Amino acid sequence: MNKIIAVHSYKGGTGKTLISVNLAATLAKHGKKVCLFDLDFRAPSLFAILKVENTECWLNDYLNGVCDINEVLLDLTNKISGSGKFFVGLANPSTEAIRDMSAKDRKWEMRALGRLLSLRETLLNSKEFDYLVFDTSPGLQYSSINAIVTADFVVVATTGDRSDVNGTRRMLRELYNLFEKKTGLVINKVLESTSKSKKDEMDQKIQSVYQVPMLGLVPCFCEVLRAEGNLIFAQDKPNHPFTRIMDDMARRIENNDIF
Amino acid sequence: MRQCSTVYVKNTWGKPVTKEQLLSKKPLLILEKIKENLEKLNEKMEVIIELQKHDRKETQILPDASLDVMTLLSMPDHLRKTAMTICRCGRATAEEISQQTNRARAVESAYLNQLVIMGYLKKERKGRKAYFYADRDSQG
Repeated sequence: MNKIIAVHSYKGGTGKTLISVNLAATLAKHGKKVCLFDLDFRAPSLFAILKVENTECWLNDYLNGVCDINEVLLDLTNKISGSGKFFVGLANPSTEAIRDMSAKDRKWEMRALGRLLSLRETLLNSKEFDYLVFDTSPGLQYSSINAIVTADFVVVATTGDRSDVNGTRRMLRELYNLFEKKTGLVINKVLESTSKSKKDEMDQKIQSVYQVPMLGLVPCFCEVLRAEGNLIFAQDKPNHPFTRIMDDMARRIENNDIF
Repeated sequence: MRQCSTVYVKNTWGKPVTKEQLLSKKPLLILEKIKENLEKLNEKMEVIIELQKHDRKETQILPDASLDVMTLLSMPDHLRKTAMTICRCGRATAEEISQQTNRARAVESAYLNQLVIMGYLKKERKGRKAYFYADRDSQG
């Protein structure tokens, strides 16, 4: 069943964009028709990671009601191996656009929510996309909550940092639960040993702290840091452990294991 | 026996309807009108009952109400569920909303009308059906 997935976190720097890009690329590698959207309008980054120089229409323009969603989508299938399709919708990185997006009022945000919700009909139903993946801004902001309300499933990225743990727990209670959203937790930058017993112990601990299903545990890989955002790991390093973790996460989503 | 001009009911424009009119002019249509008015009355009663059940403070009417996500977050749970469903559907009847929320039609009708009173939704009648929607386009 086709779905909208929002990748969100309480704090910045938890690896939302890394997870979004690699999850979307992995789903496409698995033969799915996927579109990745940059909904982090305050700090757009997908254009840089995916090395897109310019585009006629940005996602900002679609939300402003000045263009159609088909004019926003860029076909980057050539960046991905496998039989799937990989599209992106980018946020405008110019300072002017960032300033404009952060000054929107409630009524604009209400219309933006309507436009995001209509993607279900225009992309999932009519254009037969299998998955839409939303990369969001951290914390409680209009653009990220709009994305969460639109999504069927929220991937919650977090780290072991104390403030992150507390904030994530609060968001699970006071945001995702209130909107009755299904969530899967991804703990990123894990330092502990990856031995089976340690992992099981950690899984139990996480389950007792957060009380939501775990989607994945991502160790802190130096290679990911060294790549400096120049690689789509899931595509460029097919045998790397990070890629295998992404494969597992994507399979669980495809098989509805997490829902 | 009294003849002719006895007034039995008033029509929707408040004019008296005579026995002749009742017999000669589509009595079924008049009954339909009465039923329609009773349904409207019933909806209003449901709203009053729901308002009594929940805290009245939550039904403050805001002059500049918009159904954005922060508003959804601050709503009581029972209204949020209805409001979220109407956001997803765009435009729907109480019956259609109740099919998605698995609550009774009358309950959804009451919540939808409450959201209309609060200024978050608009209501439009088409024949015997009442459609509810968040008016995104005419604002701002």
